[in-house]
Amino acid sequence: MQIVQEILFLLQKELLLEWRQKYAIGGILLYVVSTVFIVFMATLVIAPPVWNILFWIIVLFASVNAVAKSFVQENSNRQLYYYTLANPLAIICSKIIYNIVLLFLLTILTYGAMTIVAENPVKDATIFWAALFLGSIGFSITFTFISAIASKADNSATLMAILSFPLVIPILGTLMKISRSALALEQDTSLNQDFMVLGAIDLILFGLVIILFPFLWKD
Amino acid sequence: MKHWWKILGVLLVLYTLIIGMIVPLKPGIPEVSPSNGQTGTELTVMVRGYNTHYEKAKEIRAWLKMDQERSLIADKITVQSPTNLEATFTIPKNLPSDKKVVPLALIIDNEVDGASVLPSAVFITQKNIQKAMGEALWKNSPINSLNEYKGMAFPYRNILAETIRNTYFHVSLWFGMFLLLIGSVVYSFRYLWKFRVEDDLRSKSLTGVGVVFGLLGCATGAIWAKHTWGTYWTTDVKLNMAAVAMLIYLAYFVLRGSFQDETKKARIGAVYNIFAFAAMFPLLFVIPRLTDSLHPGNGGNPGLGGEDLDNTLRMIFYPSIIGWTLIGLWMANLLYRTDLLQYRLLEDDY
Repeated sequence: MQIVQEILFLLQKELLLEWRQKYAIGGILLYVVSTVFIVFMATLVIAPPVWNILFWIIVLFASVNAVAKSFVQENSNRQLYYYTLANPLAIICSKIIYNIVLLFLLTILTYGAMTIVAENPVKDATIFWAALFLGSIGFSITFTFISAIASKADNSATLMAILSFPLVIPILGTLMKISRSALALEQDTSLNQDFMVLGAIDLILFGLVIILFPFLWKD
Repeated sequence: MKHWWKILGVLLVLYTLIIGMIVPLKPGIPEVSPSNGQTGTELTVMVRGYNTHYEKAKEIRAWLKMDQERSLIADKITVQSPTNLEATFTIPKNLPSDKKVVPLALIIDNEVDGASVLPSAVFITQKNIQKAMGEALWKNSPINSLNEYKGMAFPYRNILAETIRNTYFHVSLWFGMFLLLIGSVVYSFRYLWKFRVEDDLRSKSLTGVGVVFGLLGCATGAIWAKHTWGTYWTTDVKLNMAAVAMLIYLAYFVLRGSFQDETKKARIGAVYNIFAFAAMFPLLFVIPRLTDSLHPGNGGNPGLGGEDLDNTLRMIFYPSIIGWTLIGLWMANLLYRTDLLQYRLLEDDY
């Protein structure tokens, strides 16, 4: 039970930090809105198949940018201080949970902005929201862990991209497939299977993160 | 004999190269012209054979097969050359089918080459469709007492033809890559457990050779695709997922390169290697099975075994996997030894 308390406490800390540095979250939100607007200016009429692709690409890039800072933002001395106080599992879990919430808000914002500039092509809202939620979880786990790896190196921005993009392709591909059927672009007979694959990938990655993270922070 | 496995590897690869290239293909039929006909006519088709010996055969028989029970035998066969013959069939006025166009398979049998088949060789267009009439008119001549090809040969498959030999390179190299990468992950786990630099160097060298094998598998696959599917690169899911897997592993080397400190490099490299392997698993084994692919083994049909792999192919295919893997292990071993020497030299400097 102590670990749950630690996670809750660290989550509180994350929220407080975010509240004090409002420009960081504001920057990400503005990033989404301006990207959506650039996309709108470039294409003007966004057909549903293009909408699907653009939506997930914007979500992908915004998520990488949002999560990349999670381990870089605090300096190494302060991280050392956390590590002496808290369990590494509590640290990574709190970061992942915090990022899930952040990315979910980000996808909702992207969805909203895309709906304003283009029409809302989503036909089956339940499937689409489920995809958004599972997608946020998958992106959050992968990106948080990769940002922990990248933060150890010097040129972390480049590393963040080259390490995380190929790793996230299975998740992104499955998400696009699910959302294609949510947009009624294709009849998907194996929707349950797709959700199961997505859930399984999330679970496998989460399990690995739990096992591997303690080795990462031991400097 | 300390080096038995290296000798075994070389022997198996030589066996693959020599036997895999020397053994001929079974006789087959690549082409029939014309490939369409009308009902109620006498149809003469020109058959081109591959690796056939029509002039040596005493008795050549040919059938047009419609389904499991119905087949027509050729009235007349004239042999023109070892690989060319003309077969004449009498097509009845109506066929026992309610389709406008009926595909018929061509079967040619003689005692030298054995039986060879070309599925959907001739398409017969029906002038008017009367299934009952067709059944009454049909003179059935059942296919019986087919000959077998004597001697060792690889199966002839349409479209694949001689490229079937690429199984020993393309498929075996992928298997080899996978075995090497499994070894690399095992050493990464061992490093995180014991923190010995040797384990990390072994893991790194195995990954390096695994990636080389993967790239070679990609290259042989591209050549194969050019000859069978028509282009070097397609949108096939398995192909692209494999390319992504290669990107994941190339990123591993960039990650290692960005650290100066040796222990940090080893630790974080090991962590990423395990993570990358787990992420690669759905890429190569789960997602391709959920979508259609041009590769065998996807979209429902069995991958290895069944009719794709016959016993003669197996005799080369399994040894070739072992051979390539052993050669890969040898390469990794050499890499590991140079890396270790370099590491020791650096250590002495301090």
